[in-house]
Amino acid sequence: MLRCVGAFGSCQRPVCGDGELQIVMRIYLDHSATTPIDERVLEAMLPFLRDKFGNASSVHQFGQDARAAIDLARRKVASLINARPNEIVFTSGGTEANNLALRGICEAVQKYGRHLIVSAIEHPSVKGVVDYLEKQGWSITRLPVYEHGIIRLADVSAALRADTVLISVMMANNEIGTIQPVGDIGALVRTERDRGRKQLWFHTDAVQAAGRLPIDVEAIGCDLMTLSAHKIYAPKGTGALFIRRGVRLMPQQIGGHQERERRAGTESVANIVAFGAAAELAGAEMAQRNQHTSELRDRFESKVQSRIDDIVFNGERDLRLAHVSNISFRFIEGEGLLIHLDMQGVAVSTGSACSSGTLEPSPVIKALGRDEELARGAIRFSFGKDNTEADVDYAVEALVRAVASLREISPLARDMESVPSA
Amino acid sequence: MPYSDTFKDHLANPRNAGELSDANTVAEETNPVCGDRLRLSLRLSNDRIEAVRFLAYGCPPTLACGSAIAEMIEGMRIDDATKLTRNQIVDAVGGLSSRKQHAASLAIETLQSALAKHASTHR
Repeated sequence: MLRCVGAFGSCQRPVCGDGELQIVMRIYLDHSATTPIDERVLEAMLPFLRDKFGNASSVHQFGQDARAAIDLARRKVASLINARPNEIVFTSGGTEANNLALRGICEAVQKYGRHLIVSAIEHPSVKGVVDYLEKQGWSITRLPVYEHGIIRLADVSAALRADTVLISVMMANNEIGTIQPVGDIGALVRTERDRGRKQLWFHTDAVQAAGRLPIDVEAIGCDLMTLSAHKIYAPKGTGALFIRRGVRLMPQQIGGHQERERRAGTESVANIVAFGAAAELAGAEMAQRNQHTSELRDRFESKVQSRIDDIVFNGERDLRLAHVSNISFRFIEGEGLLIHLDMQGVAVSTGSACSSGTLEPSPVIKALGRDEELARGAIRFSFGKDNTEADVDYAVEALVRAVASLREISPLARDMESVPSA
Repeated sequence: MPYSDTFKDHLANPRNAGELSDANTVAEETNPVCGDRLRLSLRLSNDRIEAVRFLAYGCPPTLACGSAIAEMIEGMRIDDATKLTRNQIVDAVGGLSSRKQHAASLAIETLQSALAKHASTHR
C-alpha cells in the first residue's frame, strides 16, 4: 500500500480492485494551467463572501468597505508590476483582458493603420482575437520563434510597417515557458516614438510571467499588460489589464461606470481581494518560489533524462520560467501519456487535441520546427511552490512506467527496434 | 464524455499487445487525417482467428479500441469477425463520444483489411 504524502495530502484514491485497497499519491504538476488557492489568500477573501458583501458602487458603508478593499487590492496588483493603481483595470480573467487589450486598442486606433505584429506562439486568447481581426481585414505578421521558442528582435524591426499600430508579444509562453525579449521590444517602440512615430502601441500577455518574473512596466515600456489571478494561487475568475496612463482604448463591455468606464460590470470583490493578496505574496516570495521550483524541475529533468530514451526538451532551457518543463516523447502520443499518468495520480497537460479524427498538434511545439510525432508527443510538467522532492520522484517513476507501457504497444517503437543499427 | 473504467482498463492493461511471429496475415491502417495507426497480426486456422496481437499509436481511443478488438476476435470464427461493427467496438470500451468514434472505425477497417488480405492469398 502506498501512502499519500503528495501536495494534496488529504486525497486518498482507491485504484486497485484486487482485494487490497491501494492508495496512490495525487500529484499536481499542472501549475501553468491553474494553481491551488493559497490558504492565506483564501483567508483574505472569505470576509467578502460573508458579511462584507457590499457592492463597491454603493454609497453606504457596505459599499464603501468593498470599495476600500478593491482599492487596496488594486494597489497591491499595481505594485507587482510597478504600475500606478489607476492603470490597473480588473477583468474576469486573462482572456477578457487580452480581448480588451487587442480589440480595445485596435478599434480605437484603426484610423492610423490596420497592421499587427504578434508572435507565432501566443496564447489562444490572443491568437483567437488576432485571427478574428484578420477576418475583419487587418493585416497580421506572425513572428517565428525558431528552435528555441524565442522571437528575434530583428524580426520585429523588419516587420514594422507604416501602418503598424500594435505589437503584441507574450512575456513568457504558456506551454514551454520561454521568456520573450519584451524589454527589447519596448526599447524598440520607444526609439520609434523618438523618431516621431506616435501611433504605435505595445501589449504583452504576462499571464504566465506575473508573479514568477520580476516585472517593471516602466522598464519594459509596454502600454498594455495582461495579468491573471489564478496562476498565482488565487481563485479563477479575475484578471487585470494594465493600461498605461494616456492610452485610450474602446471598452468591450459597456453599461456601467466601473473601472473608470473601461470595464462595465459589478466588481467581483472577493476575487479581487484575493488577487491583491496573491499578488502581494507572489512579490514577497518570488525568489524563494523560483528557487524551489527550479530545483524541483532540474531534479525532474535530470532523472527523466537518465531514465527515458528518445526524448526532446522543448524550448530554450536557459531562458524560461523556473517551473516549466516541456518534453516530447518519441513513438507515443501525448494524450495517452497524460491519461496513463492521471491513472497513477499525476496531473500534467498536453497542448495537442484530437477531435472528430482531426488531430491538432500543439501549435507551439510545431512553431519550434518539431516534426508531427514530436509535436503530438509533447507533455508539459509545471511545478508549484507546494510540490516536494517526493512528488517529483513519484512522478518520474509513474512517467517511466507510462512511457514504457505506451511504447510497448507502439508500432513506431517496434519498427525502430527492428531497424538494424549502422 | 469522460472515459469509462473499462476504457481505462484497456489502456492500463492492453489485451494481446505485440506482434505474432507466425501470423499469416498482418494489416496496418492509418487514419489519414490524424495519423493514428493500428496494426493487427492474426493467425488464422480452420476458419477461426486462433491468435491475434495489436500495436497502436495515437490518441487513447485508438489504443483502447485496438486492445478491445484484439480481445474480442481471438477465437472468433472468421465469418463472425467480418460482421463486427463499429458500435460493438464502441460498446466494448465502455462507450465513446461521437467525436472519438473514428477510433472504433479504424479498428474495424484494420480487421477487414487483414481478413481481406488473407482471403486474397488463400482462395
